[in-house]
Amino acid sequence: MRPSVRLLNLEVPPIQGARTLYVCSVCRHAARPRPIVTRQFLRNASNANSLTEKVRRKIWGTDNPPGLKDPYGGEGALERRFKNKGAQVIEEAETPEASQAIDAAASEDAVPASADYEPATTWDGLDRVGHLGRWSDLPPAPADVYESFQVPKKITKKELLSLAAHQAVVELCLMHKLGKPLTSICEVVEHDKLIFKMIWKTKIVPSSNGQWSEALEYPNKQAEEALVYIFKQIGAEEAAETVEATEQVEETEEPLDELTEDLDTEQSKLAFCGYQKPRDNGHLSLSLNDPATKFAFLKRFSQLTGHFFPDPAAQSITTVQEAVTYVQQIMKSKPKKLADYLAKNQQYKKAPNVKVFAKRQKRSDRDEDLGRKKLIEAELRARGLLE
Amino acid sequence: MKRLQLQRWSSSVLSPQARAGSRLPRRIQHGLRYQSTNPFPVTDAEAEQLFEEEPSRSSIRPSQISKHALPSPPVEAARESAKLAALHARLYLPSRLPLETLGRTLVDESADPNANFNNESLATLGHDLLTQYTSEYLICTYPRLPMTVIFAAMYAYVGPKTLAAMTNEWGVELAAAPGGEVDPGHLQFRRLAPGTNPNETPMRTDRRWEEQTWRRSVTSKVVNDNVFGDPVRASVNPKLLAKAAAKNTAGVSAEEASAQFVRAVVGAIYLHAGRPAAKRFFEQHFLSRHLNISDLFNFSEPARDLARLCARESFEPPVAKVLSETGRLSRHPVFVVGIFSGKDKLGEGAGSSLLEARSRASVAALKAWYLYSPMNVRLPNSMEEDGAAPWKPVHVDLGEVIV
Repeated sequence: MRPSVRLLNLEVPPIQGARTLYVCSVCRHAARPRPIVTRQFLRNASNANSLTEKVRRKIWGTDNPPGLKDPYGGEGALERRFKNKGAQVIEEAETPEASQAIDAAASEDAVPASADYEPATTWDGLDRVGHLGRWSDLPPAPADVYESFQVPKKITKKELLSLAAHQAVVELCLMHKLGKPLTSICEVVEHDKLIFKMIWKTKIVPSSNGQWSEALEYPNKQAEEALVYIFKQIGAEEAAETVEATEQVEETEEPLDELTEDLDTEQSKLAFCGYQKPRDNGHLSLSLNDPATKFAFLKRFSQLTGHFFPDPAAQSITTVQEAVTYVQQIMKSKPKKLADYLAKNQQYKKAPNVKVFAKRQKRSDRDEDLGRKKLIEAELRARGLLE
Repeated sequence: MKRLQLQRWSSSVLSPQARAGSRLPRRIQHGLRYQSTNPFPVTDAEAEQLFEEEPSRSSIRPSQISKHALPSPPVEAARESAKLAALHARLYLPSRLPLETLGRTLVDESADPNANFNNESLATLGHDLLTQYTSEYLICTYPRLPMTVIFAAMYAYVGPKTLAAMTNEWGVELAAAPGGEVDPGHLQFRRLAPGTNPNETPMRTDRRWEEQTWRRSVTSKVVNDNVFGDPVRASVNPKLLAKAAAKNTAGVSAEEASAQFVRAVVGAIYLHAGRPAAKRFFEQHFLSRHLNISDLFNFSEPARDLARLCARESFEPPVAKVLSETGRLSRHPVFVVGIFSGKDKLGEGAGSSLLEARSRASVAALKAWYLYSPMNVRLPNSMEEDGAAPWKPVHVDLGEVIV
């Protein structure tokens, strides 16, 4: 702020006292120019020849006083990184081989053939995360195909749910008996029709001590042997080998069901090979007290039915029956929107004087019902407020 | 119990000029016109032309037209309207009366000029039924009523103001403007343009010599005017009327449209559910309304009228006698005067002066005479039922005393 000239002039004793105004000493002092030192101190706080620097030199007695040049530690990590990157980009733009390099990198990415290639598990130390470009042009790799763990369509029928529970229980009982890891049964998404028939014929008779391995009751000795043989294959080997095994079984057991062969091709697409309900309900009373068994059962059951069990539900389930009931309850659950709920209500459907709207009725709807809307629109158009 | 609209008194109180003109008599006159050749003879060519002017329905398919292009809601919309169903249930209408017809009763002629979709025909029928039932009831129940009181009572029972009030009580909402998108549960009519006087007085009748009200006698009203004693509008050339309807510029008042709706409902019930249902509806909704007929009288000189009446009926001439009095010399005296004809006391009245008490007593005596009602009233319309007892003629008196 520049000091006022008029106020400064007041310091000179006036010749004509009557003409000049009286100004108090405080104002006069404020109007006086401030010492330059303070101003420079304010202005050049960070300069090399600033006052602080001069004072430092004076204190240390040298022209190069010790201490950091920048007391705040220099550039931050991000700044440094951006600086480096910008430099790189500029370099790349300068070299004509840059685009070729990218292409080469892309081709390397697509064909990770080299033996010493090691995929990274974290992004630490990587220049960039993701593909190098042109990913959309590449043909789909086998790894790109997504296969759902659960069946694509959820099962809703009560009998089919019970059937799925029966299948899961029989399989787990067999795994128990064979002493194999229980969850490895999930590797087999779907059984062959013949195997499924044997599973379907197997009854579950809950034993008194609640042991799963003793609950099975086979239709005959032959079936028992076949099932045990098949289930021995599961877990250790690949699923493909089990398919081979089933083929062997098919060869051995062909005379059993010759008539069903014709239907085989048609029914192979059906869930549970076309079976509609289990033979008995003995499996429903089995308990799921053992956590490992429960986890394996719920995993297999959700794989077969397509219903997910959240943790609180899985925690509270104690028998097979409860798991089936839980799924049924989920399907019966109320609709989330009130309008849907009211629209389904038979009482309101029958009443002719009740109308349920799916959308909220606004004032414009009311206007339209009364025939007022067209008048309002016509008036707005007449005034040019509406196109 | 609902009160009736006592907007109208006997003719000496309110001039008929203050009443709104109704479209109905005009239409009836219009209908009469077709039967007679009197005022404007219609040639065959004209009649054909009139017939041709009606829009041909066969060429139009309903699927081609949008809702907004229609003058009144489509027939299918009646089933979807919650308001219409609620109105049907609220009025306790017979189930044989479909919602579509109820929807049609709510479309006034001014909204949809097409006679196949508006309520005009139903309203004409309903008006005839209402006036017939009401007049039968009034004349048989009170056989000695003067003609002016009958007119006033008719107006109070089935006049447009009462019908408009009933529409309001039934919970029928009025649509702002008619159209295809409007909910069929609303009463639809084209409203009067702002600034129009709904009580437009000058009505041209066919009787030029009676244009001035003071020349119109009660007998003339009985013969020439409508059921309420209102002058009937002069008949118009139907060609012009059709043109005016096609232009559809003039709206109607809410009262008129509401009255037409109630009449149409009665007509619709009669057509769909039959005569007994219509009669029941009339009793429940019209006769159940309270009307104090003794309030409708207005005597200018009751003592003279009573003397004439006694002379006509060859009673002894009436004599007023003070029955009791109190405070004759005080500021508020009360006299109780009885009117005697011979030994029979005809009436009694109290007043602060002898004259006032006498005229009150005369009024009481006259009302007692005029409001006579027989014990077991049987209406002529009961003869319409199957297996009705043979008709015994009811007593209908000569009527009022003409001084």
